[in-house]
Amino acid sequence: MAEPILTRNFDVPDAHTIRVYRERGGYQAWEKAKGMEPAAIAEEVKKSNLRGLGGAGFPTGVKWGFIPKGSTAPRYLVVNADEGEPGTFKDRYLMERDPHALIEGMLIAARAIGSHLGFIYIRGEYVQPWRIVSAAVKEAYDARLLGKNIQGTGFDFEIVVHRGAGAYICGEETGLISSLEGKKGWPKVKPPFPAVKGAFGQPTIVNNVETLACLPHIITRGAEWFAALGTKTQGGTRLYSVSGHVVRPGLVEAPVSVTLRQIIYDHCGGIPGGRALKAVVPGGSSAAILTPDEIDIPMDVDGPKSKGSMIGSAGIIVMDETVSIPDALMVVARFYAHESCGQCTPCRESTGWIYKISHRIVEGKGRKEDLDTILDVARRGAGTTICAFYDGAVGPYISYIEKFRSEFEDLIRSSAHA
Amino acid sequence: MPKLTINGKEVEVPEGTNLIEAAKTAGAEVPHYCYHPALSIAGQCRLCMVDIDKVPRPQIACNTQATEGMVVHTETERVLETRRSMMEFHLINHPLDCPVCDQAGECFLQIYYMKHGLYDPRMVDEKVHKPKAVPIGPHVMLDAERCILCSRCVRFCDEITHTGELGIFQRGDQSEIGLFPGTALENKYSGNVVDICPVGALTDRDFRFQVRVWYLDTAKSICNGCARGCNVEVHTNRHRPHHNQGRRVARLKPRFNAEINQWWLCDEGRYGFKWMDDKSRLTHPLHKGGGEGGEVSWDRALPELVKRLQGCPPDEVGLLASPKMSNEDLWALRRLAEHLGVRNLDFRVPPGAPGDEDDFLIRADKNPNSRGAELIGVAPGPGGRDAAGILRAARERRLKLLWIFHHDLAASGWPEAEVLAAIESTETVVFQGTNANDVSARAHLVLPSAAYVETEGTFTNFQGRVQRFRTAIPPLGESWPDWKILSVVGKALGASDPVFSAERAEQVFNALAAAVPAFGGMTYRALGDTGRMATA
Amino acid sequence: MTGNARNPEFGAEHLAEVRRLQGLYPDKRGALLPVLHLAQDTFGYISLEVEEYVAGLFELSPAHVHEVVTFYTLYFQQPKGRHVVAVCHNLSCHLLGAKGIIEHLTQSLGVEVGETTPDGRVTLLSVECLCACEQAPMMQVDDRYEGYLTPEKVDGIVGGLL
Repeated sequence: MAEPILTRNFDVPDAHTIRVYRERGGYQAWEKAKGMEPAAIAEEVKKSNLRGLGGAGFPTGVKWGFIPKGSTAPRYLVVNADEGEPGTFKDRYLMERDPHALIEGMLIAARAIGSHLGFIYIRGEYVQPWRIVSAAVKEAYDARLLGKNIQGTGFDFEIVVHRGAGAYICGEETGLISSLEGKKGWPKVKPPFPAVKGAFGQPTIVNNVETLACLPHIITRGAEWFAALGTKTQGGTRLYSVSGHVVRPGLVEAPVSVTLRQIIYDHCGGIPGGRALKAVVPGGSSAAILTPDEIDIPMDVDGPKSKGSMIGSAGIIVMDETVSIPDALMVVARFYAHESCGQCTPCRESTGWIYKISHRIVEGKGRKEDLDTILDVARRGAGTTICAFYDGAVGPYISYIEKFRSEFEDLIRSSAHA
Repeated sequence: MPKLTINGKEVEVPEGTNLIEAAKTAGAEVPHYCYHPALSIAGQCRLCMVDIDKVPRPQIACNTQATEGMVVHTETERVLETRRSMMEFHLINHPLDCPVCDQAGECFLQIYYMKHGLYDPRMVDEKVHKPKAVPIGPHVMLDAERCILCSRCVRFCDEITHTGELGIFQRGDQSEIGLFPGTALENKYSGNVVDICPVGALTDRDFRFQVRVWYLDTAKSICNGCARGCNVEVHTNRHRPHHNQGRRVARLKPRFNAEINQWWLCDEGRYGFKWMDDKSRLTHPLHKGGGEGGEVSWDRALPELVKRLQGCPPDEVGLLASPKMSNEDLWALRRLAEHLGVRNLDFRVPPGAPGDEDDFLIRADKNPNSRGAELIGVAPGPGGRDAAGILRAARERRLKLLWIFHHDLAASGWPEAEVLAAIESTETVVFQGTNANDVSARAHLVLPSAAYVETEGTFTNFQGRVQRFRTAIPPLGESWPDWKILSVVGKALGASDPVFSAERAEQVFNALAAAVPAFGGMTYRALGDTGRMATA
Repeated sequence: MTGNARNPEFGAEHLAEVRRLQGLYPDKRGALLPVLHLAQDTFGYISLEVEEYVAGLFELSPAHVHEVVTFYTLYFQQPKGRHVVAVCHNLSCHLLGAKGIIEHLTQSLGVEVGETTPDGRVTLLSVECLCACEQAPMMQVDDRYEGYLTPEKVDGIVGGLL
C-alpha cells in the first residue's frame, strides 16, 4: 500500500486535537506558507496539478486566479463541506478525524487569495463532524492560529462554522453561497461567477474539504512531489469512497492513477460471494454508470471521462448481478426529483416527470414509449439549466437506459401497459 | 455603444443592453417569461435562449450583455428546437384550464405554444396538483397550478413595492407561489402582479369571468384618479351587453410611460372606473318643473340656462369649476366666463378627506387636471371670489346663479350643512357632471357630462405634462362633453370666440395652445402617446 | 423565559446569541439558518409563529422566512417526536436492504414514514443520502449516525430511545 497522505492521521488516537496534530507535524506547512508571497503559493498549487475534489475537478490554482487582479474588495474563502453526492463520505472522515488539516489548508488558501474571512459550510445532517470541526476551530483560535494578527504576522483570518439545513443542491457552489447568505439554496445565474461576485456580493472562492486538506502536503513536500504521485493531468492521491456490493466498503486512499478494477478487487476485496460485477458508479450518483468492461481506467479526472462518465466526487457504488437496473434508476431518479431546487423550468418539471415514469416502469406499468421519452427529455434539458445539477441527473438517466436497455425493455414488455 | 450583428443585421445599442432588448432593435422577438425590464434578472424560465457565435451552447439572452462584434442568431434550428423543448417543460404540469381561465387570448403559454411549440404532448402521468382559485388579496386571485414559477410577482413585491408578501415555497416540482399563511396581498399596487403574470396564475378578481378578452376594444387614455396622470388603456365591451353585466368598461390596464408611471398603475386608479357605468350616471338634461321626471332635451335645457344667465348681473354668478375637467373643458369655461364678465370663478374645493400620497405613484390630489386649471387661469378675476367666497356668497343670498361642475359638494371638505344652505339660498343652481349626487338632486338644472372616456381631450399632470386621452366608448345616453355644452351656451349668448363654434375637442385645444403660452406650440399630433411638458 | 412554538420569544441569553451570530456575517441575513436551528432547538419545531418571530429579528418579510423553512428538510414545521429516526433510502443503502429496514421500523413502531408515534417518542423518516454509504444500510438517530443495520440492531437502538 502506498504511503498514506490524506489518511495519515485517521487511525491515530486524538489526532483531531491540535496537540496531536502538531506533534505529528501539523501547522508546519502554515509556518512556511505564512512567509511566502500569495502568488508563490498559488504558483506552487498550480504546479502540483491539484484538481478540485468535490466533483468538478477544476484546477485549484487556476480557480484561485479568477479573482479580478487589482481588486481590493474583501474576498471570502468558503469551504464546501456540504458533502451530499450519493456514494461519497470522504469529507466526513476528514472532518471527524483530521479537522486541523482542513484548518491549515484554509490558512494556506486564505493567504494565497488574500482572504480574511472564511466560512465552513457543513451539511446540517453532519452534527458530529460539525461539533468536532467547531472544537478544532476553537483550539486554533486559542493557539492564536486564527483571528487577528495571526502569530504576529499581521495576517488576519477568521473562520465561521455554518450549519446547513438539508438540501443536496447546497453542494453546488452558488447554491451553497445563496444558502450561506440566509436564503434558499438556489444556485445563481452565471455570469457573474463567484470569483468576481460571490457571497454577499464579494469575490468568493469555494473549495472542497479534501482539496484544502491537500494543501499542507503540497507546501511541505513540494508541488513536483505531489504532481508525480498522480497522472499527467492530475497530481496527488485522493480518497475514494467505496460502497455497495464489496467485501470491504470504506475509504481507499490511492494515487489518482489507480484503476477502478484495482480499487474494487484489490483494495475492497471484490464482490461478496464471488458474484459477478454488473455495473459500477465511478464518481457519485451523478456520474454515468460503467459496465464491467469499462473498469480498467485510471481514476483521475480523465479516466472515467474517456468512457463518457466522470470522476466527480470519487464515490464508487458497486452493483453485482442481483441488481435490477430499472430499480436502481428509480431510486436515483427519486433522489434528483427530491433534490431539484425548482428554480429553473427544465430541471424542476422533468426530474419529477422522469421519476414518475421510472417508478411506473418498476411497478410493472411501463409503456414502450417510456424509454425514448426519458432519453429525449433528458437530452433536451441537458446544458440548458442554471447549474449542473440537471446534467448530474442526466448522467444516470441516459447511461442506465442506454447500457441496460434490454433489461428495461424486458420489464416493460412484461407489463400490462406495453 | 457596442455594435453587434443579430440575424445578419447590424445594430448599435447602449452599453449594458441585454440581448432580448438588443434583438428588439433588430426587429427580432425573443420569447421569454421571467425577464421583465423593471425587475432583476432571474434567468429561470430558460425560454430566451439564443445562439451566439464562438459560444458552444445556446445562452439565455436576458443575462447576456451585447458586446462589440458579437454575432447573435435568434432563429437557428437549434434555437427553435430549444424553444420547443422549453415549451414542453413549461406545460408538463400545467392544467388544461383554458376553457375556464381568464388569461385565454392573452396567455403567453398559448401564444408561445402556437408559435414555438406545436408538438404532441407525451406526459401521461398524473400532474402535480396545487391550490386553485385562492383569493390572495382584495384584487388578486391565485391559481398555483397554472403558475410557471417565473417569479415575476415575487420580484415585483420585493423590488417595486418593497412589501415582500409573496414567496416561492418548497422545492422541485412541489414549488408553489404563495403568501405567508394568514397574510394578504394588500399593497396599493397589487393589481400589477396580474399584468406581469404571463399566464392565468394571478388574475384579476374584478375581471374574473366577466368577458373574454378577444371581445374587448381598447383606447389609449389617462387615469383620472389623481394628479399623476398614469397612462392607461381602457378596455371596453362594446358589442356584447350580455357579458360583463352590461357594463361597457371592462378594465383598465397600465400603458408604459417612462416619465410618469413606467409599467405600473395603483389599485385605486386601476379599479376606479365603476362610476362610468354606474346607475347614478346622469344621462339626460333635467329641469325641475320640466317633463317626465324632469327630463328635457338639450334644446329645452340650454335655452333655459341661457335665459337665466342673461338675467344675472355677472357678479351674482358663481362658477365652481372642477380639476376633473379636461384642458379643453376648462378653456371653454374660462372663455365663457370672460364673455359673461363673471369674475367669481375657481376650482379649489377642499376634498372630503385628506388624500393619501406615497413616494411612488399616488398623489394626494385626487384630480387629474389641477395643474391644467392653474395654467389655464381658472381663478377669480380681479375682485372676484374664490371657491370659499362663492359658497359664502351663495349662503348669504348674494348669488343668483351657481353653476357647479362635477363636484360632490355635500361630500367635500365644506360642512354639509353649509353646502345645503348655499344650495337652498340660490335662485338657480346648475349642476353639470357625470354622476348624480346630493347636490345634483337639489339643482334646478342638471346637465349630463360625458365621462372622459366617452370623449377625447387632454389633462395636465402635476409635473406639467400635457397628455391626451382618447375616446373609448360613445357618450352614455344624451350626455355631452363639457366643452361642447359650454360652447353651445356661449354661441347662444352671442360669443364670437372660435371656441364656441368648435365641432371637435382638437379645435378647442388648438385655440387654447394659441392663447396660453404654457401650451404654446402644442398640437394633438405633437403630444403623441406620451405627452409633452407645458412650458411654465 | 423563552416561550414556546405558539408564543415564541428568546430569553436574553439566546437573544445575545442571535446578535452574536448575526455579527459573524457581512450581512446579518447569513445567520438565518443557524438562528432557525437555534429556534427549533429552543421551541421544539418551527411553527408559523416562530417564523414570524424570527422574521422580526432579521427585518425580513415572513414570506421570505417561510420560503427558507419550507425549502430545507431539517426544519420541522409540525411538532416532532422526542427522537427523529431518519433511514437512508438512496442507492447504496437501497442495494443493501434499506427497504427492509424501513418496513421493519414501520411495523415495530406502528407508524408510516413521515409520522410520529402516538406517545410522541419517535418520528420516522425516510431520507436521501446521508453520506455514510460504507455503513449501509444506515440511519440517523437524532444527532448520530447508526450503520451496518440489521433488524435486530435497529430494535436495540430504537428500543433504547426514551
